[in-house]
Amino acid sequence: MPSASLQHWVNDRVPRLTEIEAQCATSQALVPSNPRLREENLRGYIMLLSAHFQGFCRDLYTESAQITAFRVRATLRILIQAQFTAHRTLDHGNPNLQNLRKDFERFGFTLNLADADPGNPARLQHLAELNKWRNIAAHHGTVPPAGLPSLTDLHDWRNSCNGLAASLDGVMYNELRRILRRAPWVP
Amino acid sequence: MAEKEQEKPTVLLNLGDRVKIRHSGGLRGRIVELRGPLGPGGVQVYRVRVRRKPEPKYIELMEDQLELVAAKG
Repeated sequence: MPSASLQHWVNDRVPRLTEIEAQCATSQALVPSNPRLREENLRGYIMLLSAHFQGFCRDLYTESAQITAFRVRATLRILIQAQFTAHRTLDHGNPNLQNLRKDFERFGFTLNLADADPGNPARLQHLAELNKWRNIAAHHGTVPPAGLPSLTDLHDWRNSCNGLAASLDGVMYNELRRILRRAPWVP
Repeated sequence: MAEKEQEKPTVLLNLGDRVKIRHSGGLRGRIVELRGPLGPGGVQVYRVRVRRKPEPKYIELMEDQLELVAAKG
């Protein structure tokens, strides 16, 4: 069994995203077509995908911090929890590689997601694309002449987030097991 | 034997509740986010805002570290 955060990603966040993807597909198949609705659905899906991945990363960070803090005595625990909560980038920032490193490296290791799984370099490229489009969608930035990403692109990006979520969960499992000298959760 | 009902996770505290933080030397705060069962063994975690100057401070704490403060009046 993975972390509670990954379970929530798999059992709650992914089904929600799948429903949004189905809604996007339905709006694309409308006859007569409705380009505005199609575009708004795609923008919505981009933002939701980024938001859910950010939510997962923030959950995993919290879960890891609480498990770590639980190992010290009650009076010291609050200090550890306050330090882990303070200035957390994922509270406000996009879930890009830089922000993930800023937060997760507070556990005292170098987060090398690209090397954690052979599929990750391609997934990280997708994540970078997702975050770039997330900002365009959220701030109504200029859409390049080629237009918004396709639903197939978004489907691929969701699969990449899925892979990165599992990979990050695995990295934190190994790092916490090393730090705490015991399994943080049942793998 | 009757099948046991599946236990639902208990949320003891609610958004907006005023709480006292145990083992903190009397710190009090307000729950601003229910983070879910992210503590060891599925313990509920809450994001608590503590008044501080010049800016409030936020701490994520487990349910057994918090004590509900009864509303006045």
